[in-house]
Amino acid sequence: MAALQRELYGGGVGKEGRLAGDSEWDDVSPIVVVEPEKALAAITYTQDYAEAMSYLRAVMQAKEYSPRCLRLTEHIIGMNPAHYTVWLYRAANVFALKLPILDEMAWLNRIALGNLKNYQIWHHRHLLVENYFPSIASDPAAVSAFAASEREFLAKMLAEDTKNYHVWSYRSYLVGKLGLFSDPDELRAIDAMITEDVRNNSAWSHRFFLVFSDPSASTPGTPATAADPAVPEAVVDRELAYAREKIALAPQNQSGWNYLRGVLVKGGRKLASVEDFAAGFVTGLVEGAEDEDVRSTHALDLLAEIYAEKGDRGRADLSLRRLGQKWDRIRVGYWEWRRKCLEVGA
Amino acid sequence: MSQTFDQLPEELQLATSAHVKYIQSLDTRKDEYDYWLTEHLRLNGLYWGLTALHLLGRPDALPRAETIDFVLSCQHDSGGFGAAPGHDAHLLSTVSAVQILATVDAFDDLETRGKGKARVGEYIANLQNRETGTFAGDEWGEEDTRFLYGALNALSLLGLLDLVDVDKAVSHVAACANFDGGYGVSPGAESHAGQIFTCVAALTIAGRQDLIDKERLGRWLSERQIAGGGLNGRPEKKEDVCYSWWVLSSLEMIGKTHWIDRDQLVGFILRCQDPERGGIADRPGDMVDVWHTVFGLTGLSLLKYPGLQPVDEVYCMPKSTTARVLGR
Repeated sequence: MAALQRELYGGGVGKEGRLAGDSEWDDVSPIVVVEPEKALAAITYTQDYAEAMSYLRAVMQAKEYSPRCLRLTEHIIGMNPAHYTVWLYRAANVFALKLPILDEMAWLNRIALGNLKNYQIWHHRHLLVENYFPSIASDPAAVSAFAASEREFLAKMLAEDTKNYHVWSYRSYLVGKLGLFSDPDELRAIDAMITEDVRNNSAWSHRFFLVFSDPSASTPGTPATAADPAVPEAVVDRELAYAREKIALAPQNQSGWNYLRGVLVKGGRKLASVEDFAAGFVTGLVEGAEDEDVRSTHALDLLAEIYAEKGDRGRADLSLRRLGQKWDRIRVGYWEWRRKCLEVGA
Repeated sequence: MSQTFDQLPEELQLATSAHVKYIQSLDTRKDEYDYWLTEHLRLNGLYWGLTALHLLGRPDALPRAETIDFVLSCQHDSGGFGAAPGHDAHLLSTVSAVQILATVDAFDDLETRGKGKARVGEYIANLQNRETGTFAGDEWGEEDTRFLYGALNALSLLGLLDLVDVDKAVSHVAACANFDGGYGVSPGAESHAGQIFTCVAALTIAGRQDLIDKERLGRWLSERQIAGGGLNGRPEKKEDVCYSWWVLSSLEMIGKTHWIDRDQLVGFILRCQDPERGGIADRPGDMVDVWHTVFGLTGLSLLKYPGLQPVDEVYCMPKSTTARVLGR
């Protein structure tokens, strides 16, 4: 087993990285691509890469699946991890050779940590999970163990870049695939990330997905922007309290306010139910005074909507005017549009 | 508005001829390491460069005949295009190929010397998952709203949208909508300006803007502008020139471009250009690249910067091209 592991994942191809002088590759005739001399966007490679690609073309054409092919893909990925074809061929080798998926994932973890912005590693992982999951789907303990090891890997990736979009979209895929919505460890992990950085919008977004797309406590297929009576009142209350607590820590943070609004919509609650909370961030808003103190433009924005909802046009208009004049001047076009809506709505 | 631009100091004028030279030079850097590292993007790169040149009013700056020859040399029997000769076919390079051929008015060459429009349409249509409406990028099934948009973009240019199940595609996009009004790469994924562009443009091509919560989305998009004038792609992230395109085109499609400060954004994009050697970077002082160059220019075009050709906010191509091809 150890010898096989070394052969598959030990790295190294050819002698000193060159394939032509290695007897293991003697039976392969590399396929060299010759470009027309003046071709637009013609391709020039450095030598090692060109050589490796010519061998890759040959083994792909011959549909060879073997340990040396697997190592060839590692060799090329090491030089150019963004080349999607080589990843697809690697996956084909893993499946054809029936290699243990968890071994391949352990190899992939090492590559992933060195290539944070790469698309291909995530697609490769996706293919591996799709292949692996059916074999453990009926065994809750195995699913739970797999979820835990993935969570550990995701924590390492997110420690490098807490908002990495690939990692977070893979995480939401994994939650759906493994059914982790009600997994307390998942919610705890996300809570820890929001606690560490309350401005991490990715973590907020994932929390919303976890809580409000949980099939055991929501109506499947309900759009994220629609009220859902199947969500328990206690969950809505808990999430509103959570958002309020985090907003208090960073009143100018968009993520917390967006979340608060999202929960209000989900729970079918009126905006006015948070009027007192929002009003706590704005003091001295009086017509003609222009000396108010605003600790959060998002609070003032929400108050403007609440005033309009209650029919207090004057106060709504004053709030929007002050946002455009003083507190958020770069978006004066938006605030002026909102003021026009008040006239139309009247 | 153009009055304001005339008053900009000299360093904030668009360095048009430097940008043209920069794009022309990209193809002569074949001895550089980066050149082969980006081989898998070759056809996309040609599309970005060509689009930039057309917007700069220099459609002749790349040789048309060689452009067409190169594009056709990337085509497979399946109808799909690889990123470069010898590369497997992929949806994204196929979309770029169709966009390039449309821009240089060469659909006739595709018929006579290539595999023909119908074969391209068939290749793209076969990548649709008929159960879910999504599109894969290749035979391996990686699915992404970028692919769905690309498929609708290319098929509509070819006049072959009826080859796919548009309604199913539309319902998948609708499922990617988030509580904040934005869209993510898949259901449950965070809102991201790039993904919003693909979703809003796909819905626009499908004639289903009625599904968009324009006020909520417009609010989120306009919040992407930060002090200094640049736009970011998600809350609490740094600004980047490419979002001048993804955010602004989305605002334009839903009729809310006036919700951001145009002059400040123009200033930010111009500060990201290299006025001597040409090209535009993600942020002032960084290295330029063709990707940020084209999206800086498309952004400026949407902002009606004087002298630039108008860009189509749905297709990211010259408006003159989409008007000719789509007959509008």
